[in-house]
Amino acid sequence: MTRTARPYYVPVGNEEQVFKAAFRQGLSVMLKGPTGCGKTRFVEAMAHDLGRPLITVACHDDVTTADLVGRFLLRGGDTEWVDGPLTRAVRDGAICYLDEVVEARQDTTVVLHPLADHRRQLPIDRLGITLDAAPGFCLVVSYNPGYQSVLKDLKDSTRQRMIAIELGFPPADVEEKILVHETGIGQETAAQLVQLGRAIRRAEAAGLREVASTRVLIAAGRLAAGGLPPRDAARAAVAGPLTDDPLVTAGLIEMIDVYLADGRG
Amino acid sequence: MTMLSAAIERASTDPARRLGRFRLLASGIAGRSLDVMPAAPGERPWTDGMTVFLDDGASAPGQVAALAVQASLIAAGSLEPGVARRLAGRPTLARRYLAVEGHRALAANEDLLPRPVRSLIDRHTAARADSPAASLALALRRAVVADPPPSFGVIIPGRLLAPSDRRQALSAPEAGPGRWRDSVRREHDEDAETDGPGHVPAFFSSPGAGGGALAWLLRRVLRLGREPAGGPLGAATSATTRPAPRAGWAPPATGAARTLAGIPAAERHGSTYPEWDVNRGRYRLNWCTVNEIDPRPEDGVTLVVPDEPALRRPLARLGLGLDRCHRRLQGDDVDIDAAVESRVDALAGALHDDAVYVESLRRRRDLAVLLLLDISGSSAESAGEGQTVHERQRAAAAMLALALHGLGDRVALYGFYSQGRSAVRLVRVKSFNDDLDTLVMRRLGGLVPGGYTRLGAAIRHGAFMAEDRGGTSRRLLVVLSDGLAYDHGYEGRYGEADSRRALAESRRRGTGCLCLGFGAGADLVPLRRVFGTAAHATVARPDQLASVIGPLFRAALQSAGRMA
Repeated sequence: MTRTARPYYVPVGNEEQVFKAAFRQGLSVMLKGPTGCGKTRFVEAMAHDLGRPLITVACHDDVTTADLVGRFLLRGGDTEWVDGPLTRAVRDGAICYLDEVVEARQDTTVVLHPLADHRRQLPIDRLGITLDAAPGFCLVVSYNPGYQSVLKDLKDSTRQRMIAIELGFPPADVEEKILVHETGIGQETAAQLVQLGRAIRRAEAAGLREVASTRVLIAAGRLAAGGLPPRDAARAAVAGPLTDDPLVTAGLIEMIDVYLADGRG
Repeated sequence: MTMLSAAIERASTDPARRLGRFRLLASGIAGRSLDVMPAAPGERPWTDGMTVFLDDGASAPGQVAALAVQASLIAAGSLEPGVARRLAGRPTLARRYLAVEGHRALAANEDLLPRPVRSLIDRHTAARADSPAASLALALRRAVVADPPPSFGVIIPGRLLAPSDRRQALSAPEAGPGRWRDSVRREHDEDAETDGPGHVPAFFSSPGAGGGALAWLLRRVLRLGREPAGGPLGAATSATTRPAPRAGWAPPATGAARTLAGIPAAERHGSTYPEWDVNRGRYRLNWCTVNEIDPRPEDGVTLVVPDEPALRRPLARLGLGLDRCHRRLQGDDVDIDAAVESRVDALAGALHDDAVYVESLRRRRDLAVLLLLDISGSSAESAGEGQTVHERQRAAAAMLALALHGLGDRVALYGFYSQGRSAVRLVRVKSFNDDLDTLVMRRLGGLVPGGYTRLGAAIRHGAFMAEDRGGTSRRLLVVLSDGLAYDHGYEGRYGEADSRRALAESRRRGTGCLCLGFGAGADLVPLRRVFGTAAHATVARPDQLASVIGPLFRAALQSAGRMA
């Protein structure tokens, strides 16, 4: 792995120390937090600091155990085993990051159990072997409590095998700093965008799918840096993605016009 | 598209809609859901704590300023009942109080205020008080002489208080908190739960209390899981969303509530359900009795319904379960039989097949749909083109039942009407286990509209049936209704609140809900408010269903189990 620049992440609390301590102790980590608050970026920065490769799996409801562990393929007359991403991480001692792990089917997450607790082993039934995790292996899952429901929740037996780091949206000054760094817009525009984002988070209207995350604010900032007036940028990057409901859209646009300066004037 | 919807709302001829676009902004500043409504002509901006009333004729910057002041007052705790009681009946004092407290509240909320509004803050005045009590003390000492700027609007203490509170405050302005609590408690005990059309609490008949009040309460009470920290309510209710079966029916507000599990199966033909009393903020237990009845099929004329292939297309991809499929080109495991055959073929020199894997695919139908047809008296009205609303709804119900049945889904169809809380009737047209035959069509044709609509009880029983008899993991409740009609003691906001509550209960337990309306003229706004705009659609004719049904069903399935 070649050394590249550290992914930009501004710590808000002690999350970096907690993560590194967990890594050194071989504990698995559960990242909790709303979508777009920086979970993935945090893992990238940690992998960089710890000098481990990062293998990311975006989970969805059709992810099967075989998708994680591996499967046999037929080549000519022979079967050939192909490692899945989780097995690769276990063999290579990489950080394996399962994004939105609740989306995966529950029978799939059970394969994580022996890996997540003190055993640090991955049994591969199809091969009849049990792999011991190489030094440096770390299992990280992310989980959005906003989606928590009867139908989709992490089993308690899975949860209790992990330590939890809760991430939220950063405080205003940090978020402004992030926006300036990620987009190159001026401090003033960044401050206005952050103020808009915080007001939307407080509003939590019924028709909003999600509140305005740091990610959508960055998208708005990038559009603004690309030459769009801030209001137009926010309409495209904030109002549009957050809702399809015309009434809520109108409400969001009112907020955008009130909080953001008219770039033309 | 986003530009367009804002322009439409701004140009709307309905003042409530025009101002409704500020609702999000108000909620953002206040930190809790607020509604925005037009004030009476000539009235200055004011709030009752749940709705901000603005002058519809004012300029947009003026409206934003007034909104920011009133919402900040709410956020800063300036309008708490303790203060409001002291201000009641003393308009001069209220004005002086606003002149100090308005600035203090704005300053306290400054980092959330839009830039133009910040210039309103008089920092000198704001610095004179550090709490509502301090502002009140200043106002009482007549230490403030200047009137608040006109853009601040007014504080109307009387409208901030609940009715009992208001009487008490007016009769004895200096009453101690102990006395006040006692009187409230007494009133609560004496006030037996009456059930009559005349019983409308004064609070809701006051011109000030707009729709937002209720909507706010409901959103407050029903909201789950969004806030990471969760208020006391969030904490209590999230416990009930744990997978403990049936526990979800236990109303969160009252621990001793009965659960559905407590109803013996034999009594199913006369089940009782709780009803949400929004005025008291709790459930009325065993309040509604729901009976399932069979119509007399001999009355019916067999309904002839054209099969609608267009309707099947959007429905076909919904509600599929996982199946293990053999002989696939890719998959999780090697399909041993296929692999052996393929190998034998290859060695024998024959053409061999590469499809030698077992794959998990979504192919199995896994969806139960319960159609609830509103057959209350109002549906007998004409929908134009010589048809009644009832006829259109009936045709749509039949088409949906046919399409879903044809796809292999579990379908049930019930009509519903009510005559008071003790007689909510669900008329069986087709249960989940009945065949879809001419008898069903004859029963459907024989339905005659009559009676009223107690929507909440019908939804609760419908959701129970879907869960108990549907037999699938994905369940939908489809209500076909022309509007939110009423029943005895079940009108207006009370009925809306209970229906919304029933829908939230059902969704939390994994049954998605949606509503389909037909024809124009009906008052659709309450229905939208109850079901949410994402789960309600109106079409002119049943044959236009195909265009809306796909997204509507999908959204309803997704909302099940997740709080809407």
